[in-house]
Amino acid sequence: MIPILHTEKLCKSFSNGATQQHVIKNLDLEIMEGDFTVIMGASGSGKSTLLYALSGMDKPTLGKIFFGDTEIQDYTNDQLAVFRRKNCGFVFQGIYLLENQSVLDNVLTGAFVVQKNSPGLIKRVKELLAKVGLDEAMQKKYPNQLSGGEAQRVGIVRAVINEPKILFADEPTGSLDSASGRDVLDIFTGVHENGQSIVMVTHDIRTALRGTRVIYLRDGKVVGDHRMAKYGGDDLKERREKLTGFLDEMGW
Amino acid sequence: MKICRLSLFNLKRNKREAAAIVFLTLITTFLMTTFAVSITQIDRAFDRAFEETGCADFILLFQADRYRDIYRDILEEEYHVTDVRESSVLYGAGASALSKKGESIAYNMIFADENTERKMENFQKLNALPDDEIEKLSHPIWLPQYFEITAGYAPGETFTFVSGGRDYPFTIAGFYNTGLYNSSSMLKCIISEDDRVLLSAVYEEYRMIAFDTEREFSYEEYYEKCAAKSNENVLSAVLPLDKDMEKMVETAYLAVFLYMSVFLSIVTMISALFLILHKISKDMEEQMVQIGVLEALGYTSRELSFSYICEYIFTGGIGAIIGGITAAAFSPVMDTLTRGMMNRNVHTDVNILRILIVVIAIIALVTLFALSRAARVKKLPPVVAFRKGIKTHHFGKNILPLEKMRHSINIRLAFKGIFNDLHSNIGTGICMIAAGVAIMFSVYLFDFFKSGYNGLIGVLGMETPDISIIMMSGVNGESFCDEIRKFPEVEKVLLTRAMGDYVEIKGCNQSAAVFSYADFSLTDNIRLKTGRFPEYDNEIMISARREKTENRHIGDSIIIKGDVCEKSYIITGIVTAMNNNGISVYMTEDGYRRIRPNDRPNAVEITLKNEEDRSAFTDKLTTLYGASAKDTAYAQSAQGSLEERIRAKADEKMAVLISQYGVTDVDYAIRIGDTIISGNSSHFVIKEISSMKDFLKSQMESIAAVTKTFSFCAVIFIAVVVAVILGIIAASAVKRQRRELGIMKSMGYTSRDLMIQLTLRILPVTIISSCIAAVLSVWVQRAFWMAAFGVQIPESLPLIIGTTAALVLFCLIVTYISAGSIRKISVTELMTE
Repeated sequence: MIPILHTEKLCKSFSNGATQQHVIKNLDLEIMEGDFTVIMGASGSGKSTLLYALSGMDKPTLGKIFFGDTEIQDYTNDQLAVFRRKNCGFVFQGIYLLENQSVLDNVLTGAFVVQKNSPGLIKRVKELLAKVGLDEAMQKKYPNQLSGGEAQRVGIVRAVINEPKILFADEPTGSLDSASGRDVLDIFTGVHENGQSIVMVTHDIRTALRGTRVIYLRDGKVVGDHRMAKYGGDDLKERREKLTGFLDEMGW
Repeated sequence: MKICRLSLFNLKRNKREAAAIVFLTLITTFLMTTFAVSITQIDRAFDRAFEETGCADFILLFQADRYRDIYRDILEEEYHVTDVRESSVLYGAGASALSKKGESIAYNMIFADENTERKMENFQKLNALPDDEIEKLSHPIWLPQYFEITAGYAPGETFTFVSGGRDYPFTIAGFYNTGLYNSSSMLKCIISEDDRVLLSAVYEEYRMIAFDTEREFSYEEYYEKCAAKSNENVLSAVLPLDKDMEKMVETAYLAVFLYMSVFLSIVTMISALFLILHKISKDMEEQMVQIGVLEALGYTSRELSFSYICEYIFTGGIGAIIGGITAAAFSPVMDTLTRGMMNRNVHTDVNILRILIVVIAIIALVTLFALSRAARVKKLPPVVAFRKGIKTHHFGKNILPLEKMRHSINIRLAFKGIFNDLHSNIGTGICMIAAGVAIMFSVYLFDFFKSGYNGLIGVLGMETPDISIIMMSGVNGESFCDEIRKFPEVEKVLLTRAMGDYVEIKGCNQSAAVFSYADFSLTDNIRLKTGRFPEYDNEIMISARREKTENRHIGDSIIIKGDVCEKSYIITGIVTAMNNNGISVYMTEDGYRRIRPNDRPNAVEITLKNEEDRSAFTDKLTTLYGASAKDTAYAQSAQGSLEERIRAKADEKMAVLISQYGVTDVDYAIRIGDTIISGNSSHFVIKEISSMKDFLKSQMESIAAVTKTFSFCAVIFIAVVVAVILGIIAASAVKRQRRELGIMKSMGYTSRDLMIQLTLRILPVTIISSCIAAVLSVWVQRAFWMAAFGVQIPESLPLIIGTTAALVLFCLIVTYISAGSIRKISVTELMTE
């Protein structure tokens, strides 16, 4: 497998007045193309910080981040924005839809920034929304008229509409009930089956089960790396046991 | 107390907005207070000057040869004036002098000796040389304060009058306080008795009548009585002045500037009030959940409203108080400015009461506006507030759906954003219109005065030739003009009448200055506003001010009173005319003769070709047509042979007869032994040579310079106000839409994209309001010029379009720069909060 993203001695610190908090410490990590990488760890272990650093949402304090062969750690904010629009998609725990825009416009706002006026774009957006269960009537609604699950589905469509090289997700089911969470994860699984690279942060085992690789972070360092087959390709019970065993080993 | 804490919390969070409100209320209070204090102090400065100098209430100057004793008798008998003081003065209309830089300049100057001065007012000396030094001066002159304040002269310096190519230098003994004759339109200097006699050959003699009366005095009525008793045209022989006229002339410009300051302060106030409304709305939107929580905890909506109002009483109060204090501290500077514009010493007493009234009024206004918006808290019961109000819920139509738009995404999103904040955009539009009108009007003013007083000359409504010649009586004007036209230096020659010719209009209290030409199409500076030039003897044009104030229009009839008759004329045109305070009328030469059949044109206006030297040509005329009679009268007799000396002496004598006694033709024959030397006065063609341009320079140069500076400062000031408002709106939009902007950044929108979107959001409102402001500014400009000067200046379409475009561009640049805080939005911070 080819690494789509890798880091060399990645460090991220936050200063709080006189004190410095080192969240990520000398991290060397490779994210493989086509993988569904799940990052787990206890609260404060640096999962989200790592996700944001990898995705170009935030700049590292030290070290290097390579996207393919390109170093991105020294990019300016605007260069990072262009990098994100071309290569990344994001799904957030807080969903973060634009409240004053309809469902369709929310997705189009994300789509137009990359694809401008590409022919058939609007049709494709509508089809994609319909595919995740959001019909024409739903597409005209505003975020405050949607349930959490529906809103997150919009978030996922918005994230994948530009066919990003890598999709980042930060606890996408964290704010959803279990049924909605399951629906959302099914969409992720479907997207991954189509060859999409995914990096997802979670502390939910059911979510982690969907991945092909689970990385465990502790104090800003990778302390465990667990590989799995594609979801659905093996026995779920066995898959769960292995993952639970790994996490137990990690002190989960 | 807790409520006040909430206010302080809001203030701390929004320091920039708070600072902007303080700034705007400060400026408003400062301008308003300055106006309120100054407007009364101007009157007081005059009253003080009139009291200190003890000047006469009225002074009438009659041309000496046209004065009749009956005029004084009428005052005493019919107006019961008991103390009429009478004396002689000299009057130089456009008397040439040398400025401090040695340039030629002209003044309407009255020359009086000390005795005459004491008949007009107390001779109150101010800054002067020591008495022993004054005694040593051969030609001392006392100048009014005007020359010290406006022209920067000092005692001991030389002040030179020039006439007929000869210099008349005086040494400034000092300056004196004068009640009347201290404006650029007419000045009075005090010279010695001997010098007055000397200058009587140069300047025309006038009979001065000074009197006081507590009764109402009507010039028109008095002139009518004089004309009735003398059967002569009094109007064209008299120069009247009184305290009210002096005050009006001297303060006309100052008042214009003060009212313009009020206009600017209104613009600033509108901006401040808009900012307050905008900020309260946005604060309430942002703090809606907090409002809900507080209401749930038992705070009443009145208490919560009060917390918002407190914030503005605090910021507005600080601004108003500092503005009031600044205005009080500024009063010495204001004194200096006023002194410069009124040419008088002014001392402004700091009127605490007026300052307090303005400060309280502004705080009250701010409170009232804050109250009107903060009262909306009542409409937010806790449940609604928890849900962030009804406005965040969209049940209506999706305006400008992205799928139907064909432009770039930044334009699409910007246009959608306009409708999300429509109220704010309307408020911004109102602010922009007010500020736009002020800024555009100031730009027009600046443009008009950018090349000094040339703009004013263009709206004078009278010709401004290089050389004006008043001919001797009996000279055939047409033949003289034909001769002048043959000179290669000459561009154009027009035959007309000397300035200062007035007629009465039936049914109108205001006399009219008359301009007559055989063919108006040959004039350059008499410009039609509407209609056409008069062609027949029963046609007339009137000034734009007369059109407006007397409600006369093209096609109307107007009756002009002549010396012994009344004639009716039809109005054919309206002229843009600033001269004589906009009271002019224009008729053909034949038309003029209908009211004054025996009067012939006595003035020649010469315009030289571009490169020609005016003084060289004046010398040429003097050589060819003899020096002007005035200059020759007391000249030293020429050197040379006996015959030459006798002829020179004879010329001198004739000149005295012509210039001082109004003699029109003189023949002489002198016998010396067997030799008879004879001659006549036919070569005295020129009575007086002057330059209208020099006179206009003294009248308008300082006005033009002050207006230019004022309008430039006004443009900068309003630009700052606009920048503050737009800056605050943009910055607060960024602050309040932090979440949305962060989400868009996460999608890959660059800071630049978002800044462009925010900037484009104000584009429509900026364009619309700038266009409205452009239309209104033209209207304001017309009203201003008509009210201030009775003229309508032509609008420059390229300037209007250019200014509008510049305003739009300026607003966009300011918004773009202010939206720069988008760069500080961190996506990570937003996601992890």
